[in-house]
Amino acid sequence: MSNLTSLQRKLIYLGGIVLLLIPITWLGLPPEPKSAKNVEGSPGGKLAQERLRGGLGESDLGNVDPASSTMNLLLLGFRGVATSRLWMNAIEQQRNKDWAALRDSTESIILLQPHFLKVWYFQGWNLAYNVSAEWDAVADRWYWVKEGIKFFKKGRDRNEKYAELYWYIGDTTGKKIGRSDEWKQFRRYFRADPDVARFNGRPDPDVNPKGIDNYKEARDWFQRANDTVDRYKIEQHIMARYLFRAYPGRALFDFAATLQREGTFDEVGRAAWAEGFEVWTTKYGTEEFECPPPVNKVKLELSSEEFKRLLTEDLKEPEERNRVTFWVGRYQDTTNYRFWRTKSQIESELQMSEAHRAMYEAEQAFHKADTARAIELYLVGMTKYEKLLNEYPELKEEDETIDEGLLAQLGWRECMDLEETPIPDEYPLKEMWETHPQKREFLKDEFNRRRRAKR
Amino acid sequence: MSLTFFPKPFDLGADLRHWAIVMVVIVVVSFLTAIVTSILALGFAGPLQVLAHMIEGFKDLLGTSPRRCLALTQLTFREALRRKTLWVFAVFALLFLFAGWFMSDVTADSQLQVKNYVSFVLRTISWLILPVALLLACWGLPEDIKARSLHTVVTKPVRRHEIVIGRILGYSAIAGLVLAVMSVIGILWINRQLPDDMRSQLIARVPVYGDIRFVDNDGNDKDNQGNVLTAGINVGDEDMFRSFIEGNTKASAIWEFSKLEPKRFDDGGRLKFESSFQSFRTYKGNIERQLMCQYTLVNPAKKIRVQLKPFEVHEFRRNVYDVAEQNKTLEDVNHNNEPVDLSAVIEEGTLQVEVRCLSSAQFLGMARPDLFIRLPDHSFAVSYFKSIVNIGLMMVMVVVLGVMSGCFAKGPVATMLTAFVILVGLTAHDFMKTLVTGKVAYNPTITVQGTGVMDSLYRIPKHMTPGVELDDSFGVRMMKTFDNIELNGLWAIQHVIPDFASYDTSEYVANAFDVPWAAAMLPNLLATLGYCFPWIIVGYFSLRLRELEAK
Repeated sequence: MSNLTSLQRKLIYLGGIVLLLIPITWLGLPPEPKSAKNVEGSPGGKLAQERLRGGLGESDLGNVDPASSTMNLLLLGFRGVATSRLWMNAIEQQRNKDWAALRDSTESIILLQPHFLKVWYFQGWNLAYNVSAEWDAVADRWYWVKEGIKFFKKGRDRNEKYAELYWYIGDTTGKKIGRSDEWKQFRRYFRADPDVARFNGRPDPDVNPKGIDNYKEARDWFQRANDTVDRYKIEQHIMARYLFRAYPGRALFDFAATLQREGTFDEVGRAAWAEGFEVWTTKYGTEEFECPPPVNKVKLELSSEEFKRLLTEDLKEPEERNRVTFWVGRYQDTTNYRFWRTKSQIESELQMSEAHRAMYEAEQAFHKADTARAIELYLVGMTKYEKLLNEYPELKEEDETIDEGLLAQLGWRECMDLEETPIPDEYPLKEMWETHPQKREFLKDEFNRRRRAKR
Repeated sequence: MSLTFFPKPFDLGADLRHWAIVMVVIVVVSFLTAIVTSILALGFAGPLQVLAHMIEGFKDLLGTSPRRCLALTQLTFREALRRKTLWVFAVFALLFLFAGWFMSDVTADSQLQVKNYVSFVLRTISWLILPVALLLACWGLPEDIKARSLHTVVTKPVRRHEIVIGRILGYSAIAGLVLAVMSVIGILWINRQLPDDMRSQLIARVPVYGDIRFVDNDGNDKDNQGNVLTAGINVGDEDMFRSFIEGNTKASAIWEFSKLEPKRFDDGGRLKFESSFQSFRTYKGNIERQLMCQYTLVNPAKKIRVQLKPFEVHEFRRNVYDVAEQNKTLEDVNHNNEPVDLSAVIEEGTLQVEVRCLSSAQFLGMARPDLFIRLPDHSFAVSYFKSIVNIGLMMVMVVVLGVMSGCFAKGPVATMLTAFVILVGLTAHDFMKTLVTGKVAYNPTITVQGTGVMDSLYRIPKHMTPGVELDDSFGVRMMKTFDNIELNGLWAIQHVIPDFASYDTSEYVANAFDVPWAAAMLPNLLATLGYCFPWIIVGYFSLRLRELEAK
């Protein structure tokens, strides 16, 4: 037992408090900005300085959400428990198809975990892909795809330095809208929202503020993702850099290819391919990518002068040249760089778009049972297609090229069969037909699926 | 959107009988325990003392003075005010002031938005009022005993049970006042927070439910054992609340409605169905069109069959089908399509509705609450306040339980005990029922195996699933006997601990349904009385026998 009096004890406590205050003040003193009174300003305590150095302050990460900060403060040390409970609730609500509660739970989760990238990714994906697929009406599915995109955008606002979130927005805006089974409706809704009461036939400004094509919007977001990496000198953790940087160009290729899929073969379509080619070769192709020493950095595209200089000045030893060639080739193969360069170049030519148009119109004529016209158009398209492939033989072995050629062949043969006309000995794309017997069997399913869809 | 459970119809006679049996069992067990304990403590004079106490208690109860109870109620009310109970309003105000931050524009879908707001308000009110009631009730008497202020009361000519009743009424009154103010602010907040175009969603639909049975793809309405089919096909959905019927087959779901009063239908006779079936596609089909569904009205006695015009099922939406609006005439397909009047189909208040999916190789999912006849809507406010009354009833239960615990335990112990009972009653009632009956609450067709503790302890280390049969050995028989005893004990606990979850009627209000009197209000009211009466008796005897000087 202590022999101290009550007053003595209190004085000791007071001393202890003062002692503890010294390190706390040293650690936690808030910074003071420069002002008229305090010209120098103050960097604050150790914690404030470290926060500033690491860019870890709430306002450094993105917009400050007072609700989130309040919630985290109110929960004291129980944030983890509350978060776990909310996650369990969200999973249970999804199981029970209680969508209102699920949406509510996701909002609460992000209030507690506003800077946890995987939370944004998981829940944004969940809304755009899983929840939307649960609904039967396409307009309802579209609503949940938008919810997913809006969720990602909210995440981006709170975390401006996460390049991944920009990329997710681009990916969902491009791929989910452009490649779902409902891609035709989704692309239409992207430019004219089905909720006429709210948007009056215009796009939802939260997902398409500029009222443009979804792939163009996706391109912008991919570009912002690249810009964010450059601006903050940070790394993204989705994929290798040389793949990540390709996405603005890839979005333009998707845009151009989708226009063809929708039957647009005019100047707009060719211009889209030309723009893709431009971005691919002059922006993406001229970026430097790291590779193991001693090469260190390579570019995927070199002008003839640069190439000459490289061989004559920079890389005089054959060993060095081999290493550079190896890494450039490897990166080009992984990104399909040469294919896209050639494809975008050839697709921007009038001849190719006419070949596509003829084969597309032939398919339409076939679906309308105008087989004679279809045969005529197929032959025109296939002849032009073959001619161009002979000019650019590197495209001959690419899947997309083969698919298109074989599908045209299948349509042409079906029409010939219906017209009871034998297949001649010589016909365009004969070499392709005979070289890929397995692939043409596989493509019969796709061909029949398209026929059924048109019925 | 429909309910995720089916409102269980209330059988007053059966439930009263059940209550009486439980009460008799409890009284007999308590009496025998008291006799045995008294013999052990006081010898053979013990039982006489027990009887004397019981007679005294009976006399006390007969001599209850409403005036004294009221005086004690007033005293309790004032004390509670002095204990700064109304500070809870500060927390309430804070939550509502900033709720908009957390909830604004969570979703633009009006039905989902309304659901979120209503759920939030009712949940917040419950979560705030129950701890207040709990703390007031559990700490009141023990604190008075500790501070010896109860001595000034017990020396007055008041009976102990009047103290208990006075406390209960006083705490209920103050908590009820807080609840009333909160509920008014809550409904005003909902109205203010919702945009104008969403306020039309604030309704209280009045459904008339029927009984459901199924017919399989081959047209059989019974299984191989001759049992009526109560479920359709399982399409692999994790949530087994609904089962499915296949399109363009003989499969159907049949709802049988009874006690219908056509004059109560909308506009004095317009028959309106509302459904919320779920769609399951085995192939995409035409994605711009929804799955097709058809109702057929049947009068089995007169062999009348009226096939109504098919409609598209809008999943997770309210599919309202006005029979007169959709069908110019009703034609009886069994009698050469002769026109028939609705009154001829609905005979003596009964109606059979067959539901079929018309889309080939596609499925429609349904459960009992997914189709109902919609009567004219009630006011949202009425439904909202009915839900508040249910919260109030739960609050009274908490007060009674807390005061009773305070009669024999100190504040912290009483609080822990009451909180434990509430927690178990709120969260584990269905679980206990599942263990005891071996059936899950939301779908009685699902059987749960291996619910005993010993059984589980035996199976887990051996990696045996519950479905594996055990050998008929002595050890296994012993194990099963022990499990039976323990599950019977759990059965008793399940009946002693109230099902507090049934007082949460917010799902009705949030889903724009009226809170039904027969299925939600009356059972809760009677359950409150049924539990409170014995608890007050227990409280009275505890306080009577308690040595007040022993703090």
